[in-house]
Amino acid sequence: MKLNKPERRTLLVLPGRIDLGEVQPGGPLRLELEPPQEAGAFTLLDDFSQSLQRSGRALLQLGDELILLGADGEVPSQSAARDGAFVHDLAPGQVRDALDDISPLRALLEVASGTAQVQQAALLDDEDKTQVRAELRVLSSPEGEVTLIAVEHMRGYDKAHESLLAALAARGAHMEQGMIGEWLAPGREAYVSKPVVPLGEGRTAHDVAVGIIRAYLGVARRNEAGTIADHDTEFLHDYRVALRKIRSVLSLFKGVFPDEETARFKAAFSDLMAPTGQLRDLDVYLLEKDAYFNLLPESLHDGLAEMFRQFQEERDAAQRKLARRFRSRAYAARMAEIEAEFAGGDLPRGPKADLPAHDYASALIWKRYRKVCKIARGIDAQTPDDEVHELRIGCKKLRYLVEFFAPLFPDAELATVLKPLKKLQDNLGLFNDYSVQQGALRAFVETHQGRTRQDDIETALAVGGLVTVLHDRQKAERARVAKRFGKFDSDEVREAARALFHGSEG
Amino acid sequence: MEVIACYSNKGGVGKTATSVNLAHALAEGGKRVLLCDLDPQGASSFYFRVKPSKKLDEARFFEDVARFTKAIRASDFERLDILPANMSFREFDAFLARVRNKRSRLKKALKAVGNDYDVIVLDCPPNISALSENVFKAADRIIVPVIPTTLSARTFEQLIEFFDENGLRRRKLAPFFSMVEARKSLHLETMKEMRTRYRKLFLDSAVPYSSDIERMGLHRAPVRSYAAKRPAGRAYAALYEEVSGKGAK
Repeated sequence: MKLNKPERRTLLVLPGRIDLGEVQPGGPLRLELEPPQEAGAFTLLDDFSQSLQRSGRALLQLGDELILLGADGEVPSQSAARDGAFVHDLAPGQVRDALDDISPLRALLEVASGTAQVQQAALLDDEDKTQVRAELRVLSSPEGEVTLIAVEHMRGYDKAHESLLAALAARGAHMEQGMIGEWLAPGREAYVSKPVVPLGEGRTAHDVAVGIIRAYLGVARRNEAGTIADHDTEFLHDYRVALRKIRSVLSLFKGVFPDEETARFKAAFSDLMAPTGQLRDLDVYLLEKDAYFNLLPESLHDGLAEMFRQFQEERDAAQRKLARRFRSRAYAARMAEIEAEFAGGDLPRGPKADLPAHDYASALIWKRYRKVCKIARGIDAQTPDDEVHELRIGCKKLRYLVEFFAPLFPDAELATVLKPLKKLQDNLGLFNDYSVQQGALRAFVETHQGRTRQDDIETALAVGGLVTVLHDRQKAERARVAKRFGKFDSDEVREAARALFHGSEG
Repeated sequence: MEVIACYSNKGGVGKTATSVNLAHALAEGGKRVLLCDLDPQGASSFYFRVKPSKKLDEARFFEDVARFTKAIRASDFERLDILPANMSFREFDAFLARVRNKRSRLKKALKAVGNDYDVIVLDCPPNISALSENVFKAADRIIVPVIPTTLSARTFEQLIEFFDENGLRRRKLAPFFSMVEARKSLHLETMKEMRTRYRKLFLDSAVPYSSDIERMGLHRAPVRSYAAKRPAGRAYAALYEEVSGKGAK
């Protein structure tokens, strides 16, 4: 495999095949084409959100080699050996290093696969001296075909090189290597976890609410297959976030639907959400596995290992159960029913349904903003944790609202408000996570029984250790709340919030 | 960057064949090699099918690094580039002076255009009227093909005398027996006699007289690209092993 030879190589891509004989690239030069050789199987990989394609890259497994096309500079390559589906499961090497921007939570999935064919070509002069070489690699999947052309510039033969490049360019070859996914697996729908709902002129509050619910219903549905297949934990996470956003629209957009309808929708989405909670919780614990081991001395690791063994068992069972649910006819029918309800244009309207989106949004956000500030200003070192939780929930609602209506407001001003809000939320989020984790760990000890009494003693010791550490961390986060809020409650942010959401009253 | 000169003060001894095959073997062995064809007949360029450069008449050619590097051509073999040149003696001298005095600058200039060569092989002209001291000073090693005949032995003796008289280091010389015909007892006797006389100076490997080497002109390619397993191909491999082994610093 020579695609990765960095110096003097130009790597072009082209949809379909190219017959160099027809192209006559050489002018006075003679084209020498070797017969094509079968070159084994290929697999194109990307994560579900198409992170690689969207960044103009393509991760290709060719035989036992892994190469990354479209990266800056040379073409990284390494052994294709891997222990699992994630970037951190790859063998150490150039490709793994170059993929450090890919989420560690997202699995690399097969986008397309098929067979490769290699053909060597050269242009020779009247002395039979090679003036430029090319290696054509045709990748064929059941859905499409693409040719990778590595053109090797030979020193001192610039003209031949340029004429070959020009001939290839004239046939549609170019350097945007990230495109090959489009050609090998055409018609894939891009996945967006945060769809932007259009909020143009003349839209009412009702339009916006229905638009957001429709869009996030779509997001949830896109994540069902990956949850069933259990590729990675992000599918279920995104599914739940989508439902949560829908539920927050229902509870935050007061008066858009009649109250009894709102209650009915809320119940429907709550019913969808409920069966997913256990699996998500277990996913979160298991994702924390390494961190937990790092928190505790080795003497307590046996207990941790036993606890995680039980978590893993439960998690696998929970996954199977949820997958069964997602595959069931009853679930499909229920989802179709809900989708149909929101797809129609005749959803019942509440008293505020016809308010212009902007006015409605401004009033909602302004009210929520003031509420958050009121809670936060009352928090000091002595305030009970419950109020901190209340602040966290208030911030979350504010954040959702601002994000739902973001297209209605200027980006820069919005960023002034959102940035310190996110920081505050990170802080509150950690505070909450540590608190929830302590509770969950205690619950684990109370409800679980290991294989032996010794197992139970070991896990109890480990949980005791963890609870202690987590409690300390929670206290540390708690101590930061006032400071973080201070940054959010600065003059600058207050002015920006006022101008954005309370402009009419100055 | 090591400079290896293939030189002989006598014509027809297999000097160009040595340059071509040694440069090819060095490149095959992983070195980045620039073979400078300093022979006015452009024979080594011919073997690599590289057309002689047209713009080499001007004396200031080698003062201009950009033009120098522009004349370099890739061979059909990986890591091996050719500087095709049919230059005059005057130019040759200027070139050598440059290699000798400005090696770091030359290396830098080559690197700047993407050619960080490990080895420069000089295929020197056979017809220098006077022995060019420049070759000897510029090169780290001087590979001298010697046909094991009485006449060649005398010519080699003259070379050694020149080295001694001019205070040049004999150790730079790496003579080897070329065009050896094992069935000629004269060849074998001469080799034995010269190895005794110039102790440790001659390389162990010797290149036989071979139709495979003569056929380079037909194939227009290094011997090892079409006859690697035959005696001539193996002989050049051995020569390369020895030169690169000894040349290691």
